[in-house]
Amino acid sequence: MKALVLGSVALLGVLPFALSSSWLLVMFLSFLWLILTANYDILDGFLGYINLGQGAFFGLGAYVATVLLNVPQMQELGVLTYVVAAGSALGVAALFAAVMAFPLFRLKGLYFAIATLILIFLLQVLALNLAELTGGSYGLYVPPRFFMSTFVGYYLALTLAVAAVAVNWYLSRSTLGLAFRCIKGDDHAAGSIGLDLMRYKILALVIGSLPSAAAGVLFALNSGFIDPNIALGVERSLLPALMALLGGTGTVFGPVFGTGLIRIMETIFFHYLHLPVPSMLFFGLTLMLVALLIPDGLMRSPWIKRLPALRRLASV
Amino acid sequence: MARGLELVISGLSLGGVYALLAFAMSLTISTTRVLNVAHGVFFVWGGAFFVILSRHLGLHPVLSIALLTLLFFFLALLFEWGIVRTLLGRSVHLLLVGSIMATFGLGLSMESALGYSWVTFVDPYPVFSSSLVMFPVHLGGVSLSGSRLVILAFVVVTVTAFHLFLQRTFLGKGARAMAQNFDGFLVIGLNPFRLSLILFSLAIVATAISGAFYVLAVPLDPYQGLPLTLKSFTVVILAGVGNLPGTLVAGALLGLAEVITSQFFGTVWAPAVSLAVLFLVLVFRPTGLFGKGLD
Repeated sequence: MKALVLGSVALLGVLPFALSSSWLLVMFLSFLWLILTANYDILDGFLGYINLGQGAFFGLGAYVATVLLNVPQMQELGVLTYVVAAGSALGVAALFAAVMAFPLFRLKGLYFAIATLILIFLLQVLALNLAELTGGSYGLYVPPRFFMSTFVGYYLALTLAVAAVAVNWYLSRSTLGLAFRCIKGDDHAAGSIGLDLMRYKILALVIGSLPSAAAGVLFALNSGFIDPNIALGVERSLLPALMALLGGTGTVFGPVFGTGLIRIMETIFFHYLHLPVPSMLFFGLTLMLVALLIPDGLMRSPWIKRLPALRRLASV
Repeated sequence: MARGLELVISGLSLGGVYALLAFAMSLTISTTRVLNVAHGVFFVWGGAFFVILSRHLGLHPVLSIALLTLLFFFLALLFEWGIVRTLLGRSVHLLLVGSIMATFGLGLSMESALGYSWVTFVDPYPVFSSSLVMFPVHLGGVSLSGSRLVILAFVVVTVTAFHLFLQRTFLGKGARAMAQNFDGFLVIGLNPFRLSLILFSLAIVATAISGAFYVLAVPLDPYQGLPLTLKSFTVVILAGVGNLPGTLVAGALLGLAEVITSQFFGTVWAPAVSLAVLFLVLVFRPTGLFGKGLD
């Protein structure tokens, strides 16, 4: 299993030399999705909360970095500009996560899902209406000198994605992850054996917010332009959930497979099949069928356990 | 004063439609625990089909509504057999997750199917409104939009019908039992599948018809469905899941708040109202303004 994982990462490491620029972009964006999905799974797979607000951290990271890059004094700092912009983006996202954790974790189940879904809509409304800061619906440009090529972005995103999956792997075999799973299993029991519930919940949300915000920064630097629909679209929150569920939540490699499959599906539907009718129709129907036919996700489905190579991955 | 009355009427009619949407949603969530994200899309489809039938095919509005009822009854049957029934046996967490995912996928494809076929077959301009012109009603020197009064009347009639169904009929009592205590419901030998079929057809047909009434006053576009679902969630949670009379009050409050906000702070802030209200209610009163939550 170790060989399989290391081999795939190495393969992804040399892949950019063989890919055309459009495929490079597809891969870069897929890594960003994987980061969001892996982060989503910390809350769903380990802590048992359905978080439909993962995209809020992504958008927040993208916006904070872009706004800072547009400040004239910031642009004089040289390389430090990137550090300060990315650092503040991560800091703001983590702070947002920590502050929001207090009201959010008073809720559970359906209510938690909807309250987190609102986060992204709230940020959307703010981004649209605080036009002096964010450019409103016209969006915001990254100054051209800070633009990041897709080649560089690919490696940064790959590193970040590996790190995000590694976090989940760490959680799957550490006492911290065990504490999360305890809370997922039974909130009250976990409290009565002395776990500080609120502390762990805040920690989970903050850990999950950092890579997502960094993914937002990478996205903004690469695309050079963000607006409320691109950076804070509702699919930024919903697709990670769907990807994690398709792959199987609570497994380390489930999100990887789910993200991969949905991205392949998206690419085929939107770039290759020039269907006479809109691709979104088939995409939506496929999502529906997945939800109906594979309730636990691929990693837990019985037929994947029959494949020896995947069985090892599924057991993590 | 005249302006104030107009504001109240338009706020109430808007809120009434929100309340109806939320009413249907609350009924299905509290009984089956299936969260239908495509709910608002059925609303938009109802509006679109009404415009096609009554305006483009030139049918009488009443006949259009009758055909609409029939069409959406079949759609509801498909929805219940295809999606709800598959989900019903699952554990609470998986049921919630599966229903969000499946109905989100359904909503996406319904939206794009409507958006595409509207532009291709009906009208290149993707906004639909009804051509039925309602004359303004003069009331003590104030002229009110007739279409808004029709909507208000429709809301009152439908809500009363729902209320009577739930309070007086055997099936309605069964639905309340299912929401209150599912095990008890099973013990007395009622059939949850049959009831869920009936409730979903009622909910979807009522939603589609309220869409048809909505386009009398406000134009809709094909991609408004999912945001409307969120708005109807707002009302459901504001009232508390399963609290049907509260839904009516909450819908009216939200409609008024939105109309007043867009009047005094500009239309761009109107969506923020429902979001902020929803967030505050969730945080400070998770069981809704009027108590009795789902969990």
